[in-house]
Amino acid sequence: MKKETIGADIVVKILLEEGVEAIFGYPGANSLPLNDRLMDSPIKHYLMRHEQAAAHAADGFARATGKVGVCMSTSGPGATNLVTGIATAFMDSTPIVALTAQVNTSLLGQDAFQETDIIGITMPIVKHSFQVKKIENLASSLKQAFHIAQTGRPGPVVVDLPRDVLARSCECPNGDYDAVDMPDKEVDDPEQLEKIARALNKSERPVVILGGGVKLGHATGEIKALVEKAKIPFVTTMMGIGSVSAGNGYDLGFIGTHGYELANRMVHDSDFILAVGTRFSDRSTSVVAEFAPMATIAQIDIDPTSIGKIIHVDLPYIGDIKETVTALLPLVEPKERAQWHEKIKKEKGIVCENNPDNGCGRAGRMISAIQGIMPDDAIAVADVGLNQIWTVRTWRTHSPRNLITSGGMGTMGFSLPAAIGAKVGMPDRGVVVISGDGGFYMNIQELATISYYNIPIKIVVINNAHLGMIRQMQDLFFQSRFTTCELGSGVDLIAVARGFGIEGRRVAVDEDPQEGILEMSRACGPYLLEVVVDPEHYVYPIIPPGRSNVEMIFGKGE
Amino acid sequence: MTKIKEKTVSILVNNKPDVLARIAGVFSLRSFNIESISANVTKDPGKSKIILTTKGNQDTLMTIEKQINNLVDIIQVSDLTKIPSIRREMILIRLKVSTANQNSIIQVVEKLHGRVLSKEEGYWIVEVSGDVDEIDAILARFDKLGMDDFTRTGTVALEQIA
Ligand SMILES: Cc1ncc(C[n+]2csc(CCOP(=O)(O)OP(=O)(O)O)c2C)c(N)n1
Repeated sequence: MKKETIGADIVVKILLEEGVEAIFGYPGANSLPLNDRLMDSPIKHYLMRHEQAAAHAADGFARATGKVGVCMSTSGPGATNLVTGIATAFMDSTPIVALTAQVNTSLLGQDAFQETDIIGITMPIVKHSFQVKKIENLASSLKQAFHIAQTGRPGPVVVDLPRDVLARSCECPNGDYDAVDMPDKEVDDPEQLEKIARALNKSERPVVILGGGVKLGHATGEIKALVEKAKIPFVTTMMGIGSVSAGNGYDLGFIGTHGYELANRMVHDSDFILAVGTRFSDRSTSVVAEFAPMATIAQIDIDPTSIGKIIHVDLPYIGDIKETVTALLPLVEPKERAQWHEKIKKEKGIVCENNPDNGCGRAGRMISAIQGIMPDDAIAVADVGLNQIWTVRTWRTHSPRNLITSGGMGTMGFSLPAAIGAKVGMPDRGVVVISGDGGFYMNIQELATISYYNIPIKIVVINNAHLGMIRQMQDLFFQSRFTTCELGSGVDLIAVARGFGIEGRRVAVDEDPQEGILEMSRACGPYLLEVVVDPEHYVYPIIPPGRSNVEMIFGKGE
Repeated sequence: MTKIKEKTVSILVNNKPDVLARIAGVFSLRSFNIESISANVTKDPGKSKIILTTKGNQDTLMTIEKQINNLVDIIQVSDLTKIPSIRREMILIRLKVSTANQNSIIQVVEKLHGRVLSKEEGYWIVEVSGDVDEIDAILARFDKLGMDDFTRTGTVALEQIA
């Protein structure tokens, strides 16, 4: 019997048109019409063990592939469980579409069973949202959602789908929709670009700051050409790590609270800054008034609201990064600036990164060893805390998308589900999670998803039996009064993993972790490596709250 | 830089139910007050026009304007404080009327080209409108004449040249 066409079929049709191959989700009564119709489509629905994980997985998928990630939930608690994941995507401008089921339109506003105003709840953390009350608007709303999520400055879009809209039979069997007409991108005056080029050419101590926007704008090649032609050193923000592959000679590391001493110092000393695809977040700039005090600042961004929001910008330029940098390239001149490069070389010799583990101690060396056994293009997904800083300071980025982490939101528990999304999107690349014990507990249920679908991810849990970063802050800034930071060592994580059907092994970072690392590299399926670390193994340098980027401290009692 | 200014913007939007909430969200995010707001459907029923007045320093006002402009359903934002435009406000005032003040009220209302709309048991309601800069002075005058309560529309405005 041929089924009649219903709203859910239109959703499937648009998802297919948009090239969606995987959805991360969790069903409920109100989403069932869509779950049912997805079953007959080539789209694979991954059943996660929590909706928060579904949103993070969609986010991880998007970060690894550059395509839109899709997650889906039922109404009420399903939708609210997505919220942390949506906010995480919003803060790092990742393109995801979140499909939330909703109660029947006739029940809206009645506090019906599992009704929640997800449009209202998510309003400050989405790029846009749609509640589709009429089946005639379904196709065009979805088309627009995908368009909005990935154009301009990308971001999450919520599409709320009442059950009756999904289940209602449809007069328009093809799901026809009006062409989406979205306003043209705002582009600045080319004369402004010439001004930027002139200022750059004139400068003696220039630095380029690369933010997450470079990757999002697919402009890594253009940026590489620019810094190489003009011979300008560059730094990145934490989200910009990997914008240009490490080790091309101009890379000074990343700036900010946990950034590189060299990067922070050179930005401070610079006389000209070209900022590309960054909003100058407080994590990068610390005390704005003392940030790059001598520099003329030029900023290129596709999002007008990111320009001059935090810092005064002398030469703003609104435009697509790839196009803008392409246009800028012929205008910049190669210039020797021997003194500046000499100074950088000299500083390089004295900064804290100038030691084998670049300020990250044994944990850093262990992360390097892990990268050593992984293929070159392996993706690291770091969680939040000390483990994150060790990873982002250590992992060499050979390609723009091989380091994923929650920067703007700093969401603990992000790494495990995000890695699922990354591996689903990039099945041929190695994916390794690096998490603390605290963050690991936050989405530990996803071991079940990993095991069920046999997703071959390598999971490294750096276990210091504490919320390590909290402990460090209490040690440094609260007179070593430790509270609410001990997790204890009473949990046998390897037994837990085995219980989920995942092999693993415990090693100590002080003894030789290499054997465990090798065993992990040989494992075909998912694998958990627990690395026991002393809770006093902290991360340095760090900028204390309220201090500027050049007031880093390197140990306790400074 | 920190000088507080008043700004009236005219915002043309797609006539969608949550567009006002999204605009309000931009203000609440930055802990900014909307001094007044008025919204109406335009000649094209698919579009609405929102006239909004706010106060703040130059930088914040600019950020807010940019952020509103960035919302998906916004078609156009124009700063009416920067282009020639008529900015008016209407007030309905309820006055306690007695033989003592009746004549003064009638005189003032006439002078301001206002109207008396209702006369019920010692209370009148009058309608007056005025330029945005006059409106406080007008209120002060009626206050002396036994003003009991009032409602203001907030600024409504229109560009002088399209
Ligand atoms: C969801 C969430 N809750 C709280 C925090 C605050 N926080 C930041 S780092 C951190 C400690 C992380 O501990 P753990 O995961 O064990 O990693 P470690 O620092 O020990 O490497 C906490 C609690 C957060 N970032 N995210």
